Amino acid sequence: MAQLLLDSVSKTYRPRGKEPVQAVKRVSLDVKDGEIVALLGSSGCGKTSMLRMIAGFEDVTEGAIRIGGKEIHKLPPAQRDVAMAFEGYSLYPPLKVRENIGFALLRERGGGADIEKRVNHIAELLEIGDILDRYPTVISAGQQQRTSLARALIRRAPVSLLDEPMSQLEPQLRAILRARLKDYLIEHKMTTVFVTHDQTEAIALADRIAVMEKGELQQFGTPSEIKQSPSNLFVASFIGEPPMNIFDAAISAEGNGAAISGLGPNGEPAFHLRAPATDTNSGRRVRLGIRPHLIEIGANGSVDATGRVITNHWLGDQSHICFEIGGCSVVGVTDRPIEARAGDSLPVRFPLGAVHLFDADSGRALAHGLGQ
Amino acid sequence: MTGLELRHLSKGFKSGKVLDDVSLSVQAGEIVVVFGPSGTGKTVLLRIVAGVQEPDSGSVVIDEEDVTEASPEARGVGMAFQNFALFPHFSTFDNIASPLEARATPSAKLKEQVGAVARMLKIDHVLGHAPRELSNGQKQRTALARALVAQPKVLLLDDPLRNVDAKLRYEMRLELPRLLRTFNAAVIYVTQDYKEAMALGDHIAVLRNGRIEQWAPPTTVYREPISIDVARLFGDPTINLLPCRLEANGASGHVTLFGRRVPISGAYNHAAGRDLIVGLRPEHVAVSETEAPDAIPFDLDAVMPVNVRSVLYLRGKGGEELLATVSESDSGRFGRGHRQVWVRFAPGDLLLFDAATGQRIAPQLH
Repeated sequence: MAQLLLDSVSKTYRPRGKEPVQAVKRVSLDVKDGEIVALLGSSGCGKTSMLRMIAGFEDVTEGAIRIGGKEIHKLPPAQRDVAMAFEGYSLYPPLKVRENIGFALLRERGGGADIEKRVNHIAELLEIGDILDRYPTVISAGQQQRTSLARALIRRAPVSLLDEPMSQLEPQLRAILRARLKDYLIEHKMTTVFVTHDQTEAIALADRIAVMEKGELQQFGTPSEIKQSPSNLFVASFIGEPPMNIFDAAISAEGNGAAISGLGPNGEPAFHLRAPATDTNSGRRVRLGIRPHLIEIGANGSVDATGRVITNHWLGDQSHICFEIGGCSVVGVTDRPIEARAGDSLPVRFPLGAVHLFDADSGRALAHGLGQ
Repeated sequence: MTGLELRHLSKGFKSGKVLDDVSLSVQAGEIVVVFGPSGTGKTVLLRIVAGVQEPDSGSVVIDEEDVTEASPEARGVGMAFQNFALFPHFSTFDNIASPLEARATPSAKLKEQVGAVARMLKIDHVLGHAPRELSNGQKQRTALARALVAQPKVLLLDDPLRNVDAKLRYEMRLELPRLLRTFNAAVIYVTQDYKEAMALGDHIAVLRNGRIEQWAPPTTVYREPISIDVARLFGDPTINLLPCRLEANGASGHVTLFGRRVPISGAYNHAAGRDLIVGLRPEHVAVSETEAPDAIPFDLDAVMPVNVRSVLYLRGKGGEELLATVSESDSGRFGRGHRQVWVRFAPGDLLLFDAATGQRIAPQLH
């Protein structure tokens, strides 16, 4: 399809009689031809403003947007080669679902039979094949959302923009529809930017994720880069469910290596890790992070700490165990059941390769994995 | 028994029956989760237990005493709702104290009890605040504290975590069991989130169309769902469901799946020749890049990493869709998908359902 480039784009809203609000601050993104990119953040982070600037519903205050090398941010929406699915659906009420989906294709040359075939195909893919002859007002919100999504996807436009495309889905359909959507986007090499507040959805669908907070781009990377090397504490704790465990910690020199102590709520050491020398200063206060599923629970051999079990929940395909070490509450996840009840003791290991260190003041990442 | 017992409760409105012969029991100290999609009668059930609605028939028994006719305040029931329902003009303290005020508790004792429950729920620093000054999490804790402060024999929680954000919901999921245990009440907990149901419930009652479709511990509901509907409600991604026909022959049977004859474990003579739906959970599908004699070829069409695992979207040679989950460390080798893979699964992991009724067919016992 086409490459999409955002070059240092800013957006400032100037409400009458109020202070200006800078919703997007100098964000640059290059979305490759055929790439799927998620704009991820909580509400008010600027992600929807970015999408609306690409679509042409908001002016760009500063910076430029290019599609396929052509500057488009001053063009009217219809001339930008983008298709958009709106969070509010914006379906045409007097048209049937079938006509809504096929609407944009009517302008294209070619037979009606082809349109019908394409409408049926995309409708089946999104499980709305049985409501094609109904009107938008009599179908559920979830079905309206999928109709709006189908109307954007069917065009296979050079750039597709999807605003919270799956937020209304019933949970039983979520995985399979995500799967079919991703397959469709890849098969047709569609350059896609979608907005979501749901980190699970971003990770599942996107080739790369742009994590936004307060109008600023925090990190732009593949799901595994963002999981394994989060650029700061915000990204580290926003991505992942259950969230990353984070403790206050202190580093001290020990022999030719370093000792890192996790600190309990009153600042007393709760557990110790021995690491090769780190380039972070001895005596420095840091924050230590480790993802729940990378903690080894019930491990044989060397043990870093003993955890006292608080809760142990088996969810059918994974265990979530909450335990306490020296006043720190820690969450671990395993994909096998663990035989332990509240009050039991469990040996726990924090693999050095899975430990992240962050600066205690700025939150900036200092190290991902402590090498062995 | 100490605790709560519901006997043959039915309730109908003009629009039809909302509860149809519902019986369940909750012992003191136990949490029973009432789980089901919206509109299945969960809230009406709670209202009947609380005494703000009357059943058409059946009875509510608390600590072996029939309270069906008793007034709400005489029942010893505490309740917290998903919309918090705090008094907007009361401080946190007064909100929590309101059930004690209603019983004219002496003020020293009232202060002590409110303080204790507020400390336990970590809201003792906002006791002077009005509800509008509280975060959603604090509002929800205030509502819980109000439900707990009078040490009720029965505690009803109507989807209490619905309106708090995902992180807080997760924290409360870990914290609630320990908290509730200290009060030793019989707890009915209503939710639509299957993970919450499995994490919190000692037993789960799956309520559908006003009837209890299954009553069992969480692991049993997940492993031995009584019907296709229940199987679909538990698990993420949703269980794979594939139509097939059963050929049973003594102790060994086969189903035809993906164009192959696949053995099933257990004796199913009683279901021979019937049209079936086979259920296969995504975590029971093993996916490999190398061919093996008993493995079935599939196209891998998309790879979706989730939090701890990746979901693989597979399509069989006949176009059948199949979802599989693999561990995060394994998922890297599948790239962006669009390649050939081989699939295996253990016969013991297949769940068989009658295609006509949707009910699960268990193997014959010998």
